[in-house]
Amino acid sequence: MKALCVSLCLLGAGLFLCSAHTRGLRRCLISMNLHHMEDSFRGIKAAIQAKDTFQNVTILSPSETLHGIKNLLAFYVDRVFKDHQELNPQIMRKISSLANSFLYMQKTLQQCQKLCHCRQEATNATRIIHDNYDQLEVRSAAIKSLGELDVFLAWIDKHHRGTSAASRQGT
Amino acid sequence: MLPRQIVNLAALLSLLLGSGAHELPRPSSVWFEAEFFHHVLYWTPIPNPSESTYYEVELLRYGVEPTYWKPIRSCSQMLAMSCDVTMETLDLYRSNGYRARVRAVDGSQHSKWTFPETRFSMDEVTLTVASVKLEMRNGNIVGAIQLPRPEVAPKGDTYENIFHNFREYQIEVRKVPGHYESHGKVKNESFKLPIPRGVGEFCVRVKPSVGSRVNKEVWSKEECILLTSQYFTVTSISIFFTFILLLYGALTFCLAFQLYVRRRGKLPAVLVFKKPSPFNLISQFSHPETQDTIHTLDEEAFPKVTPELRDSDMHGSTDSGFGSAKPSLQTDEPQFLLPASDPQAGGTLEKGLPQELENNCGSGGGSNSADSGICLPDPRLCPGAEPSWGPQVGSDSRDREDSGISLVQNSRGQPEDAQGGSASGHVSPLGPEEPAEEDSVAGAFQGYLKQTQCPEEKAAVLEEVSSSAEDLDPQFRTCLDTEAGWPLPALAKGYVQQDSPEMILAPLQTPEGQWDQPNEDWSLLGLTSCGDLGTPDWSFAHDLANLDCVPAPGGLLGSFDSDLVTLPLITSLQSTE
Repeated sequence: MKALCVSLCLLGAGLFLCSAHTRGLRRCLISMNLHHMEDSFRGIKAAIQAKDTFQNVTILSPSETLHGIKNLLAFYVDRVFKDHQELNPQIMRKISSLANSFLYMQKTLQQCQKLCHCRQEATNATRIIHDNYDQLEVRSAAIKSLGELDVFLAWIDKHHRGTSAASRQGT
Repeated sequence: MLPRQIVNLAALLSLLLGSGAHELPRPSSVWFEAEFFHHVLYWTPIPNPSESTYYEVELLRYGVEPTYWKPIRSCSQMLAMSCDVTMETLDLYRSNGYRARVRAVDGSQHSKWTFPETRFSMDEVTLTVASVKLEMRNGNIVGAIQLPRPEVAPKGDTYENIFHNFREYQIEVRKVPGHYESHGKVKNESFKLPIPRGVGEFCVRVKPSVGSRVNKEVWSKEECILLTSQYFTVTSISIFFTFILLLYGALTFCLAFQLYVRRRGKLPAVLVFKKPSPFNLISQFSHPETQDTIHTLDEEAFPKVTPELRDSDMHGSTDSGFGSAKPSLQTDEPQFLLPASDPQAGGTLEKGLPQELENNCGSGGGSNSADSGICLPDPRLCPGAEPSWGPQVGSDSRDREDSGISLVQNSRGQPEDAQGGSASGHVSPLGPEEPAEEDSVAGAFQGYLKQTQCPEEKAAVLEEVSSSAEDLDPQFRTCLDTEAGWPLPALAKGYVQQDSPEMILAPLQTPEGQWDQPNEDWSLLGLTSCGDLGTPDWSFAHDLANLDCVPAPGGLLGSFDSDLVTLPLITSLQSTE
């Protein structure tokens, strides 16, 4: 009788771990509401991009890997949203919504970090972005970085479709 | 000192003037308006442009090194306010977008650059569809959304590939001329709509969208379809043909059943009666010897038949009059008077006639008789009483069913006919004497002939009958010799009633041609009757009168053979009404 209870408990723990592992995988794929973020960015795009005077300078370099997206999320959360000073409350509200969405994605991706293999190319791409950001005046850099959020969201959408297809093939 | 200040002021003034001279007002706004692979840059013209003013357009591919502004020569048109830059931005959907700038130029002067507020990216593309095709199918409106297929799009850059996920289409329907009503969203390029109630023209429009994008969306051009009453559907046509097949099957079955019944219902050949044809009449005319002749009877010459015959069953028989001979005829009832050739024969006849006959006719003759017997007249009608026809008291001559003659007794007498009728039997036809009683008399006349004879003349009649017996027709001879009581059918088809046993009923064979026969009724036994025969309808009666058959005691009947007295002669008369 005791052996039966112990075996049942071990079986339950194993199922729990597997479900957590599965949920973690699903989080990497499901926890992003791109439509909401794109809608928020559409509200600030005209105001932000109009203020971008450096037309021929680009901060975000192409990074389509999962590690690159996680680093960019840290870049926006740690530097861009903090360096931007917005006086318009409506614009500020939408920028805040975007910041919160990025934080949530950052935490979700931190659980997926254990399942992926980080590559050196992604690290190098993140260093270039930081260098481009540093070449500009902080407020201009922040404005330009916020103006390039559509690029970043497109990368996320592309990565989301790719990972979704991979997960469907695996299951 | 002073020349340096003047030179500086002059230089400063020239700079100011030059900047103003080369300064054209720039376009106030520049923006993109784009659909799927149709990208157009618009700008507002400068105020008070000259005829030589044109605009320069330059594009920058954002995030792609080397970054440089590319001038678009095709946009530098005079007085143009827009420029199609599709060919310059074909990779829009695969890149971070484009930057654009526009300035006005007029000769050596040019304006500052004007930039669009936003970077031109695929987010700026307005989503739309090319068209919508509608058709009726299986009771539904089936719609097919046609996506845009621009020719300038690079290979592989289709709407479905670029906007791979979360494509949706909003559908609205309206009945002309009503307003649009939403019918929800579909996620495929084909959709079905149930057929709305009623008939008429229905229009549909579609607006595309992508769930993960915030692109602008526009409604497509409406596509209309005309709905009519679905009379000829597959269901209705199949039901119609099924009904036709069932109908034909039922008709075929009925015809077959009818044919089957007719075949089984064939009558035996014996019962198939041939219709009389004119040739039959001609043959009858040519063979008078087979015809029934009518002979008047002298009541006195024939012995009376017993009155029991009046009530006997023979009156009720349905035969032709010769098959229901019964002994009751031999009673002493003077209802049927038979002619006698000699007194002995007359007496025999008188004895032979049953009394019943007298009784039968005394009450009215052959009424209620359905047989072919003989109904003798009532002796109370003598002397010479002309028997007139009328309905019997207590009887109904119409109830008779036989083919004989029923004589109806009437108390009236006609003295003028007494002589004529004294020597021989009368054939008193129905007719004008009793018009009111014609119906009953007509029925009575079918089987019986009533005769009245005076008793004093009967003996003479018997003598005449006996003497002329040899001249009788052989057939009649046979009838007279018959002791069965009733004449054979070959001679007559009915009965002749006589009221006295002395009377002898004898057929008189008349020469051919002297009879003016009725049209069709031939079954009459000719009787020599002297005197008034009554109705002119009886043509043969006239002939009889022309024969100068003067009734005399005895007369022709008196020449009859005595054997005839023993046989009641049955004659049938048929009225020719």
